Amino acid sequence: VSTATPTADTGGRRAFAFRPPSWPAVQRAVNRLTLPVLMLLPAAVVIVGLVGWPIVRTLWLSFTNTQLLDLVGSGTGPWVGLHNYSHVFSDPYLRASLTNTVLFGSACVIGTMVFGMAVALLLNQRLAGARFWSLSVLLPWAVPGVAASAIWLWLFDPSYGFVNWFLSHIGLHHFRNYGWFISKPSAYIAIFITVVWQSFPFIALSLLAGLQTVPDELLQAAKVDGATAIQRFRLVTLPLLRPVIAVLVVFSTIWDFRIFDQIWVMGYSVPVNAADTAAVSAYRESFSFGFYGLGAAVAVVLFLVLFALSLVYVRVIAREGEL
Amino acid sequence: VSARRAKRLALYPPMMLVALFALFPVYWVLITALKSRAEIFSATPVLWPSHPNWHIFSYVLGSAGIGQALVNSLIVASATMVLCLAFGSMAAYALTRLHVPGRRVLLMLVLFVQMFPVTVLIIPLFILERQAHLLGTYAGLVLAYLAFTTPLAIWVMRSFLQGIPEELEHAARLDGATRFGAFVRVTLPLAAPGLATTAVLCFIEGWKEFMLALTFMTQQNRMTLPVVIQAFIGREDVDWASVMAASLIYTLPVVLLFMVLRRHLMTARIAGAVKG
Repeated sequence: VSTATPTADTGGRRAFAFRPPSWPAVQRAVNRLTLPVLMLLPAAVVIVGLVGWPIVRTLWLSFTNTQLLDLVGSGTGPWVGLHNYSHVFSDPYLRASLTNTVLFGSACVIGTMVFGMAVALLLNQRLAGARFWSLSVLLPWAVPGVAASAIWLWLFDPSYGFVNWFLSHIGLHHFRNYGWFISKPSAYIAIFITVVWQSFPFIALSLLAGLQTVPDELLQAAKVDGATAIQRFRLVTLPLLRPVIAVLVVFSTIWDFRIFDQIWVMGYSVPVNAADTAAVSAYRESFSFGFYGLGAAVAVVLFLVLFALSLVYVRVIAREGEL
Repeated sequence: VSARRAKRLALYPPMMLVALFALFPVYWVLITALKSRAEIFSATPVLWPSHPNWHIFSYVLGSAGIGQALVNSLIVASATMVLCLAFGSMAAYALTRLHVPGRRVLLMLVLFVQMFPVTVLIIPLFILERQAHLLGTYAGLVLAYLAFTTPLAIWVMRSFLQGIPEELEHAARLDGATRFGAFVRVTLPLAAPGLATTAVLCFIEGWKEFMLALTFMTQQNRMTLPVVIQAFIGREDVDWASVMAASLIYTLPVVLLFMVLRRHLMTARIAGAVKG
């Protein structure tokens, strides 16, 4: 490969003058980029066309009053500025859906993390039948959201559900024919249990993988120094697990804040849709009521919250050297 | 020593409770599906049906629209799997092995995209597909699924490619293979477990997705399994045996795939895969 430049350069000014790149160099650069570009192209088209563009479009729609009839025509209604956003924060239903997202979402994260950690610690004890225990813990993870919601909806059935039968059987007669889904707090308890049931396996197994990397010598040394089990956990295990926990917390938060399936399926009978989270209210505004602009505004608000969380997540990942 | 033994034994009851919490709902689904109507609607739950009605599965598959939904789900999830595997593995290769300017930024972007809620994408995708007359078609749903499975495939595939020594490819290139040839003939076969894992994960994503399917597939004969199951529950007098049988049919493939994938599931965790 020749590096000589056939262009008419005069030696001395060479370093300063703009020199068009020589043809072979251009060719080499093109050659070097052709394959990567070709290989990235399909994925790039998908990501730009089906993710990038829709996000810009949602943002645009959130400033318009787009309704069902507009979809027949241009697809965009008249520009209304920040009106949708002021509506999101003033409308009781939408505002409640935002607070629901934060409060219920956080409760799910905390519940899943605490329970997941407890299960991980148990699994790490290597009890007899370890394979069976970890396989049973794995199972709920495989159950799709809608199926899990159907299952728990049935378990929480007021008249014939197992939960009410069990609770009234152990003496809590208040729960005979108790309607879990006719008020927000009790519906949230049922949905919370469903969400934890579905997501603790992932957390527990991830934490277990982390626990297994904690060197035994450290724990033994702490023991020799007289540390109790709780102190060993707090002072040795937890600090070592911190990166894993950080990733899992951010990740769970992102997941639990955008929860849809469980609320849609289980919360449908809660009066005035009081159990709706932002993902559900955005959906309902758009596809049930036909206010696509308003729905887009709710989606953008949710998106901004999740975007901030994603930033944290990506930073943690980058620091861990996964990138 | 006996105190330690007692302490260890004390760990079994909580472990059993955890396993019970994990397994009981699944057991309950199975026996509900097999129960007669009288046993389902009884004030004292029956722990094992007196006459297990195994025909419920053929009944549900045949007459209740679940059979068609199963076919629809299979078509959509498989098509999603094939496309995102092709797009994802190529992009992952380029981002792992080739000189790509701004690689780090691109990778971060891929990770970001994975975190976005479908809620932000669904309205424009709906409008777009409505205008393109893609609503209610398999192609339309698959296209929408690619939005979140492709980034996942890139991320998972990349973690596998990173584990394959680059020297093997250099050797192939010295023997006269082209860059693309080395990718296809040397790296891809070695990445077979990665490809399988990625494929299964994408399939599961397409299989489980509910919100887009609910919105796009409004015709009865195009609905996927979660949409049909959800529609069953919305009715006044819920036929719980059918719902539970359908849920089992819907869940079983994922459980089997999970068992196959067990070792590799954690690799996918960074991409936020297989959750929900």
